[in-house]
Amino acid sequence: MNESVSLLAAILFPVLSGAVLLLLKKLNDRRKVLIYAGIAMGIAGVLILNALLGKEKEILLFFLTEDIPIVLKLDNMGKWFLAIMSLIWILAGIFSFPYMKHEGKERRYFGFYLITLGAMAGLGCAGNLVTMYAFFEFLTLASFPLVIHNQSREAVMAGLKYLFYSLFGAYMALFGLFFLCRYTDTISFIPGGTLNMELAKGNESVLLLAACLMIVGFSVKAGMFPLHAWLPTAHPVAPAPASALLSGVIVKAGVLAVIRVIFYEFGADFIRGTWVQYVFMTLSLITVFMGSMLAFRENGLKKRLAYSTVSQLSYILFGIALLNPVALTGSLLHVAGHAVIKCALFLCAGAVIFQTGITTVDGLKGIGKKMPVTIWCFTIVSLGLIGIPPTGGFISKWYLAVGALESGIKGFQYAGPIVLLVSALLTAGYLLPVTIKGFFPGTDFDYGETKKCEAGAAMTIPIVILAALSVLIGMFPNTFIEFISAFTAGLM
Amino acid sequence: MFDGLIANYGEAVAVLLFAIGFGNLLLQKNLIKKILGLNFMDTGTYLFLAEKGYIEGRMAPIVVNGVQDVNAYINPIPSGLVLTGIVVSVSVTALMLSLTIRLYQRYHTLDMDEISTILKKEEL
Amino acid sequence: MEFLRNFPCFSLILTMCASIVSSGMNGKWARRLNIVVIVAVGLLSSAALYLTVTTNQCYVYKMGRFPAPWGNEIRFGVLETLMALFFSIIMLLSVLGGRKHLFEELDPFKENLYYVLVNLLMSSLLALIYTNDLFTAYVFVEINTISACGLIMIRESGHTLEAATRYMIMSLIGSGLLLFGLCILYGITGHLLMSNIKEQVALLVATDQYHIPLVVAIVFIVVGLAVKSALFPFHSWLPDSYGYSTASSAAILSSLVSKGYIFLLIKVFYRVIGFEIITESKILNVLFVFGLCGMIFGSLSAIKENDIRRMIAFSSVAQIGYIYMGFGLRTEAGIIASVFHIFSHAASKSMLFISAVGLTDVSGKSKKFLDLTGAGYRNVIAGITFTVGALSMVGVPLFPGFISKILFARAGVSVPLNRMLPTLICLAVSTILNTVYFMKTVLRIYTPVKTDYINIKWKENLCCGIVCIFFIILNIALGMYSEPIVELISRGIAMFA
Repeated sequence: MNESVSLLAAILFPVLSGAVLLLLKKLNDRRKVLIYAGIAMGIAGVLILNALLGKEKEILLFFLTEDIPIVLKLDNMGKWFLAIMSLIWILAGIFSFPYMKHEGKERRYFGFYLITLGAMAGLGCAGNLVTMYAFFEFLTLASFPLVIHNQSREAVMAGLKYLFYSLFGAYMALFGLFFLCRYTDTISFIPGGTLNMELAKGNESVLLLAACLMIVGFSVKAGMFPLHAWLPTAHPVAPAPASALLSGVIVKAGVLAVIRVIFYEFGADFIRGTWVQYVFMTLSLITVFMGSMLAFRENGLKKRLAYSTVSQLSYILFGIALLNPVALTGSLLHVAGHAVIKCALFLCAGAVIFQTGITTVDGLKGIGKKMPVTIWCFTIVSLGLIGIPPTGGFISKWYLAVGALESGIKGFQYAGPIVLLVSALLTAGYLLPVTIKGFFPGTDFDYGETKKCEAGAAMTIPIVILAALSVLIGMFPNTFIEFISAFTAGLM
Repeated sequence: MFDGLIANYGEAVAVLLFAIGFGNLLLQKNLIKKILGLNFMDTGTYLFLAEKGYIEGRMAPIVVNGVQDVNAYINPIPSGLVLTGIVVSVSVTALMLSLTIRLYQRYHTLDMDEISTILKKEEL
Repeated sequence: MEFLRNFPCFSLILTMCASIVSSGMNGKWARRLNIVVIVAVGLLSSAALYLTVTTNQCYVYKMGRFPAPWGNEIRFGVLETLMALFFSIIMLLSVLGGRKHLFEELDPFKENLYYVLVNLLMSSLLALIYTNDLFTAYVFVEINTISACGLIMIRESGHTLEAATRYMIMSLIGSGLLLFGLCILYGITGHLLMSNIKEQVALLVATDQYHIPLVVAIVFIVVGLAVKSALFPFHSWLPDSYGYSTASSAAILSSLVSKGYIFLLIKVFYRVIGFEIITESKILNVLFVFGLCGMIFGSLSAIKENDIRRMIAFSSVAQIGYIYMGFGLRTEAGIIASVFHIFSHAASKSMLFISAVGLTDVSGKSKKFLDLTGAGYRNVIAGITFTVGALSMVGVPLFPGFISKILFARAGVSVPLNRMLPTLICLAVSTILNTVYFMKTVLRIYTPVKTDYINIKWKENLCCGIVCIFFIILNIALGMYSEPIVELISRGIAMFA
């Protein structure tokens, strides 16, 4: 019982503390808000750690209708995502303390920031599809105020776009779910799938349609083509730590949902070799390439990073679509790698905006002289995203490529690695110019006017930690790989 | 086909009345004509009930000279229903008429469409 | 225990007496009496619910001394008592929530009349729920109409008078059809009690007699009740009467009055005609098509609307479409989903009306969207309540709207393809449309604004605030613990047979 309560506490505490922060008018003073938020974040972190360290556990909350229970269950897959999500959440949170000074309205920001953690914890702990769907919607709604934080017309429109894309995707998934319900014994997540083959016999086409709806629907959150357009609109208008959270973590909710649908509901064997798998692979490869191309052409720094997220997320989705353990391991590693790296990139961009107000890549000339630590970290994580050893990106892309080659799916066997390689080159093409312009502004640059203006410790330290993490993942991947492959093997 | 109609001419007239009333209530613009339609409609229904309740050659269900066979009397319930229905329709008609008076005092017209246009103008 | 079976009859008589007594009282005492009576009805109904649930049978209560085929009866099982309990809760919350407006908008001499009408409406709703006699049902349908019309027009403005007239005309068309249908049915079966009619109808169908009159009677009754409950093409009166009447009236009308007719229709399906015969006739297909159209067109009109109250009213058109779509699925699961939607829509819609008034109050009484900007900050509790209602309407999990959507969709996937596809597509489209206009409104009330309005103080608004909190609790409870309610509904429908 005690074990199970820890799950509930990890979800409820952030939500309640966030709600209290939103409702208590007395906490109007900036300092008080920060102290409150800091303490709440600390306690939430401890509670989640407590939940993560325990054994696998399950708690049945109540029944929604007679055969749809709301269940919380933390298995290894959930643990992996929850650990990454909460780590990024805390680091981006620390970064927001000084950063939010220039955005204002801290009370509302931190209130919803805390609630978002609760929603993410719930998503990680969800034990069946409906529970997961509930938290998925909740996450969208809780993160929506973060996107429209500055409430300019532009931000509100972008926020609405985010809201409608996410809700639309979730509804698509919901309708898939209705079909699925008829052909399963239970909607709980069971490794290997819950499909009742006797019921399913003869209804394969309906079920495949349901699978397609659910995969495409949940992938909207992960920015898969053709419903990726919300990402590049929503990121530039959100405050930098919020975009770090959005890009590093919230999009991963879509990945988790797709994994749950494929490996824990339909079962990999049911999807393997069907048109759904081909559609999924094609869409994800198109997105990988298209995202990199668009990022390459984009001049706004945050928008460029957003397109980069579109592309990188589809690496992960492609790994899932291949439906083999090696590629899935690569995907899950990339979830961690990308979360760390993209969060660091957005925080660097935030630090630059905070100190200098520059938002375009062209404006970054000579920035390396002004903010050396930030741009060094930017460079290190960029290398990681490109996939140069010994950084984290290399290992995960290696696994993805090997998985593609091993899969033996005609066409995609070779097309996959090639697209990944081309996209890696493009990644170098759109990330390295920042470093190059930053450190080598050219001969006509006037060095006399540059002064050091490094951001404060509370902003730099999270960036440095993230950069160090990205290298550490690449240098010592074995612990992670062992942890992941231990449970991915049981999925297929 | 027509034999049935002629044999049940009472019911046929009742249905005709109902239809006339229904059409007036639905289509007339003038409120008074609508109320007339309402009363036509109700009257049609009561006529239908009264016709259904009457059986040729039987007595009213009032015992005068000793109880006879059940088959000698008609069923009193339809007549009772007609009475109840009349009460209901009177009260509804009264309500409608009072509404009409109020509207006429305010807008000096009985035409529903005109009232709507006046209201729309007021809003702007 | 046996004594409890008298309670539905008591609650009927109590409300009727209260409405007579309060016509002689002043406004203050009439209000108190009204609250006491509604609470008492709630308690009586819950006792009766307890009785029916524990003994798991339904009771027939003889009104007057004559036995079955001649006398009048009321009959109650699980569903009837549950419905009565729920209606009294919603009624209480709606009346209390709009109390402040009643003081402002009504002539002080007329205040007691308002409570006369509310009591009368409650008694007619209870009668519609409990009665086992079709003609009694007709009489109370008319009483319901008259008192509802009174509730609309008691705030005397041009709009409400016009709305009341339109409402009356549509309702009279509906009740005229209903009455004529009843007369035909009475003519061919010779009975007025529902159980006896059902036996006779089964006999007529088995022997293939009076086929055409039976179909005509069914069509008249169903169409009449559909017109009265504002099914899609007959909804023209609805936005005005919900949009301009006083807050309590709008909440009561949208969540209770139309639902009373729908409940009567369900009783007609199960207790008068028999569900098998209804499903074989084509009438449910017509309801299905109109229900689907209502879902889409109601939402489209709501999107175009620039007035918050009228927007919510158009949303009601869409939600009533959902209920009729559930009938049109022609399965028991569809009916259960519809009945649950009656509950969830009543809870959410009355909440929306009450909280929308809270928002317009702090925006200079204007109902236009532009003036509502930032109203959620000025009246915090109303803003939160409106958001909860909107989320429920959109169908976010943990709110009742989501449960009804799940129930509809699951009922939808188990019918043949030609009805499954329209159901699912319309559900999806209408969900998205709902999202559009409700999220637009929520965003609007949470957009900060520079101009000064008076912020409302918690103490000034205590009554409305507490009602809002109760509404939120009711909705979340319905959304999270729907399982026992769905079970009660299915048990109740099983008892209908």
